[in-house]
Amino acid sequence: MNPITALVGRNARLVFWRNFLAWQKYAVSSVAINIIDPFIYFLAIGLGLGAYVTLTGHGTLMQFIAPGMLGMAVMNAGTFDSCWGCFERLNFNGVYESMVTAPVDPLEIAAGEYLWQAFRAILYGTLFLAAVAAFGLIHSWWVLACPLVFALGGMAFAVPGFYVAMIVAIQEHLFFYFSFVVTPMLMVGGVFFPLDRMPAWVAAIGWCTPLYHAVAACRQLLVGAPTLQTGIDIAWLVVFTLAMMFVPRRVLRRKLGN
Amino acid sequence: MADHPGPSLERGTSVSCPRGPDGGIPRATMQTVCMASQLSPAVAANGLTKSYGPLEAVRGISFAIAPSECYGFLGRNGAGKTTTMKMIYCRIARTSGTLDVLGLDAAVSAREIKSRIGVVTQENALDQELTVMENLLVYGSFFGLRQAEAEKRARSLLAMMSLTGKERAKYKELSGGMRRRLVIARALVNEPELLVLDEPTTGLDPQARLMVWETLNGLRDRGLTLIITTHYMEEAARLCDRIAVMEEGRIFAEDTPAGLVQRFAAAEVLEVIAEPAHADALAQTEAFDGLVRRRERHGDVTYLYTDDNRALLARMAQAGLDSRRHVARVATLEDVFLNITGRGLGE
Repeated sequence: MNPITALVGRNARLVFWRNFLAWQKYAVSSVAINIIDPFIYFLAIGLGLGAYVTLTGHGTLMQFIAPGMLGMAVMNAGTFDSCWGCFERLNFNGVYESMVTAPVDPLEIAAGEYLWQAFRAILYGTLFLAAVAAFGLIHSWWVLACPLVFALGGMAFAVPGFYVAMIVAIQEHLFFYFSFVVTPMLMVGGVFFPLDRMPAWVAAIGWCTPLYHAVAACRQLLVGAPTLQTGIDIAWLVVFTLAMMFVPRRVLRRKLGN
Repeated sequence: MADHPGPSLERGTSVSCPRGPDGGIPRATMQTVCMASQLSPAVAANGLTKSYGPLEAVRGISFAIAPSECYGFLGRNGAGKTTTMKMIYCRIARTSGTLDVLGLDAAVSAREIKSRIGVVTQENALDQELTVMENLLVYGSFFGLRQAEAEKRARSLLAMMSLTGKERAKYKELSGGMRRRLVIARALVNEPELLVLDEPTTGLDPQARLMVWETLNGLRDRGLTLIITTHYMEEAARLCDRIAVMEEGRIFAEDTPAGLVQRFAAAEVLEVIAEPAHADALAQTEAFDGLVRRRERHGDVTYLYTDDNRALLARMAQAGLDSRRHVARVATLEDVFLNITGRGLGE
């Protein structure tokens, strides 16, 4: 079984369907939580701080952080559920334990989760995008390609998040991942401020994060046609995601395999 | 059934049982079973072991389960029952030995085996975020069932398990007995040839347990092969055609419930409650020979296994032994179990 081919298999779709059935029951609160957070940041920084600050060479602060917040919404969508949700589905709710008594491979469970996180990222990203549109920050029909970036970004965050959920022994350890990996990404991902005045090493670290590329691609699609740089950002996300998919193979074998 | 010579009838906590070279039951036992049924076994293990690092959970067990048989693994916690079950339902890989389930090697054909068996695990069994019906539909879909077919089967299984009307109930709204019945219903959704149940009634109240027993008896009557683990003697006696008593990762004895009672206990048991001096007298007296088939002593109680309690009491009176404080009862699997595994906690 290959983690990439598992993505197109029937069982991955069934795992997705299972997650959808569970999610339906708390969809409204889930949507609210995932949208309100970035939206408040957007208002506070874009409108509030933006009244005083303009970014030299990057337009208004609001215009700058709108795609940044989009990237953050996608990151949260892809990370939270793949960490907390998958940890619970592995350890508490009997979800994966049930699945592996049926003819389901652990890699198919992982694949279904990645698809599910991609869906969440598309949903929350698009809803947030609609809110941003109301502020007149969209200047190009290319914005319609944004959901593709959301899907890729969601997966790029889901794969490492899922891996962390599989390896941690207790739920509290997930906070380490958030405190030392996820939150710092906001600093170097080009979300709140551009990286061109930062030391080169900061920009270099930023370039190595999926958040940077998701934000950069969205930023371009909000204002015009994709450039070569956008193509590189998207390719980066694809390569990163596919490569990362091979990482959880051993832990899955150990926890859910036979 | 192969006829083992009976164990020593003298008192003592250790009983001897003929062992094969691998420490399990001799191969002849399995062959006899399978020849009797004229079919290849539903499950066959030979020299099966499972180690977790230095811990040997299963230490070379051999058994063969005939189609349509109800086979029980009886043992206390940590005896290796659940590990054995997990190997059978392909949840964990064996360390050594052979294990064939439905004629397929468990190490090679796990996916096909899983598609043809039903599994009732001990805990963590249901998807707690889904309703009753969703649990059945999602699980059924993993076996390739189309939605309409899965729903049809789900409804008939819910009816069979007395869960009709609970289709939309959430996990939290179900009692322990309902949950267990739902897990059993779910395990049947793929119409399995073999049903594996790990402690199906642990933690249930008496009514719920009775209902699970009825269900399992019904399935057995329909010819489904059942494998159960339990530490309830009553359960094993009621449900199982044959029982393997497990202790410390080995199969200590394997027989029919009646056969086990015959070999490791007797038809009846006289429990004599006596002070130490008197108990010593009970242990030494030769007068019982021929009447007492086995003696065990634990604390104040001396257990005299006999085929005739009335005759034994008469003989005791003749010999002038005090038998005023006693319990005379029929021997059960419980006696077998305690005689094999000892009366201590063994921890």
